[in-house]
Amino acid sequence: MENVLSILFCLSLFYVSISSRVKGYVTVLQLQGLLLSVIIVIPFIYDFSIFGIILPVTLLVVKVFLIPKYIKKIILDLDIKRMIEPTIQQFTFLLLVIVSMVVIFVVSNILSQRTELNVIPFASGFSAIVIGIYIIMFRKKLIVHVAGFLILENGIFLFGTAVASELPMMIELGILLDVFVVVFLMGIALNNISSTLKGFDVTALGRLKD
Amino acid sequence: MFEFFIFILLPLISSIFCYYIRNLRVQYSVSLGVSILHLVLSLSVFLGYYHADLPFFFSVDSLSKFFLLILSNVYFWVVLVSFSYLKRPVTSKAQEGKKYYFLLLNFYLTANSAAMLSNHFGMYWVAAEATTLSVAPLIFYYRNEEALEAMWKYLFLVSVGIAFAFIGILFLTLSAKGSLLEGKQLFFWEFIKNAKELNPIWLKASFIFIFAGLSTKIGIAPMHSGDIDATSNAPSPVAALMSGSLRLTSLIGVLRILQIIRPTSSYEFAKIILIIGGLLSLFVAFVFMFKVNNYKRMLAYSSVEHLGLITLGIGVGGLAFVGAMYHAIYNSITKVVLFLTAGNIHSRYKSREVSNVTSALRTMPITGWLFLLSFFAISGIPPFGIFFSEIKIFEGLLFSDKPVILFASMFFLLFIFINMGKIIFTMLYKKGENDQLEAGTERFEFIHLSVILLLILLTVIAVISPDVIYQNIINVTKDFGMNL
Repeated sequence: MENVLSILFCLSLFYVSISSRVKGYVTVLQLQGLLLSVIIVIPFIYDFSIFGIILPVTLLVVKVFLIPKYIKKIILDLDIKRMIEPTIQQFTFLLLVIVSMVVIFVVSNILSQRTELNVIPFASGFSAIVIGIYIIMFRKKLIVHVAGFLILENGIFLFGTAVASELPMMIELGILLDVFVVVFLMGIALNNISSTLKGFDVTALGRLKD
Repeated sequence: MFEFFIFILLPLISSIFCYYIRNLRVQYSVSLGVSILHLVLSLSVFLGYYHADLPFFFSVDSLSKFFLLILSNVYFWVVLVSFSYLKRPVTSKAQEGKKYYFLLLNFYLTANSAAMLSNHFGMYWVAAEATTLSVAPLIFYYRNEEALEAMWKYLFLVSVGIAFAFIGILFLTLSAKGSLLEGKQLFFWEFIKNAKELNPIWLKASFIFIFAGLSTKIGIAPMHSGDIDATSNAPSPVAALMSGSLRLTSLIGVLRILQIIRPTSSYEFAKIILIIGGLLSLFVAFVFMFKVNNYKRMLAYSSVEHLGLITLGIGVGGLAFVGAMYHAIYNSITKVVLFLTAGNIHSRYKSREVSNVTSALRTMPITGWLFLLSFFAISGIPPFGIFFSEIKIFEGLLFSDKPVILFASMFFLLFIFINMGKIIFTMLYKKGENDQLEAGTERFEFIHLSVILLLILLTVIAVISPDVIYQNIINVTKDFGMNL
């Protein structure tokens, strides 16, 4: 089951690499949040406990409702144009994504022969990390950078479930809270950038250099 | 529980208090009280008068109590001068920044104390990310374009960097597969005890990711750019706080993973990475000192240089490690002094450009002299502390198996000194064509007094060299399994 969901997660990464609309990114973030919540809720179906359900529910609330809603609000408030403004062609980007993913899956498979790990979630998580970075590198709009950062964070989360790291719930919640506040602060910064620097993309940020 | 309350909960409560009470003077008094309590307790813990026994994911060892004292000391001085700094006139937009200043400062103390005292990688990560969240809005204090850009870049770069550090932590979990540690909590001491059982490949990967990720916060080249922008555009007390303590909070994460890697076969690999990082930072500082024309950026590059030197010392180990620990104290105090005096110059000349600051020694003699003395202190001129710690690091480098590093770093340091000196002497002595500021009208302010006291403290620690500091550093080296 975890593998199926991880593959769906990978498909969402393909969607995000060909999507040219900012809205598409938000939808993907919601979908990924949902998939992650389901992945971590699965163990609790057989062994239900109120205490264990807190994390998946918080994850669902933060990643599916709060953050996407907040990003949508920023897009509406700032009247950001719908297109993402890539710096390289979409097709080249897709090619880059496919090549990277193939490499990651092959390498993960080789690694799994030595260390016991869950290949599909591991490789999917790592792909999301790499693609998140690509999005930050090859897109001009700052709001899309925020989406890229969140995809990277989702990747780390999935990756974490694959290596079965047992972090205490308090700390997991702390991590979620941190990510949420980062996005919140980025939103405030974006608001200011659009009013002070009159722009939403990286070209507006060029004052500080030597 | 009492120490947990003072170190972590009290600053948090005080931060909430500052949200509700809007009177700046009250906020200042409360924050100062908290910082004094924090300083007194961390000093007592350091001197061994008080035995700290922290709950949950926190504990005290030689390294954390040493770094906690540095944090506490820097924080105290920064809070002390903050009120007089906030009284300075600013644009109407920047008035907004004052409202949240003490709130964020208190939160900064909570987050940093939690990061330094944590004994669990997960807890450390959460706290380290929280330090970014507390400091990012402080960078935006002036509410101008540069501050905004600096804040955005810092927030973004450091968040991505910290995310990388998290991948490193996950790799560490992977390295424990098949060992006694599998499925256990990520406590530092458990890992240190069973380090030899860890899978070396994943351990190396973990080290690289944690080091590269935290480098964005430490300011190690090539990940230093966000840090430079942030330190140079933040208000001076915040810049002092960042250079003096925030970088060490991130360094402690690298030291923890190094402590784990130390007894394993991957130690040589980690050493090389640290040495490369250190040398690269010195090189970057060396190159940019030639072209920098903003004196606050110059000080930020100086931070890159000194953190590079500390990393280098840690990488080489042995005596250089001891030197690096001393350097951490002296650098933190000197950076506070430098940024506070630079802040005075900034508020007088309203510019950070070197070319706009002329005859500073004539127009503001007290700040001018103090700035000159701080420059001597940071350049390692005796009797200031940095001289002694640099000598120790150099000695360590000379007697290590790679003495060539010593020559490379001395070469870089020499040119950094010359270029910094050139800039500072231009600011202090060069006569401007249109000097409109009146000569010698500077009033003796509270900030000046603090700077003088800090310079005295710096010299006294260096000259007396208290045995308690030495003993603590020796304990740290023992924890790292080093033989001197």
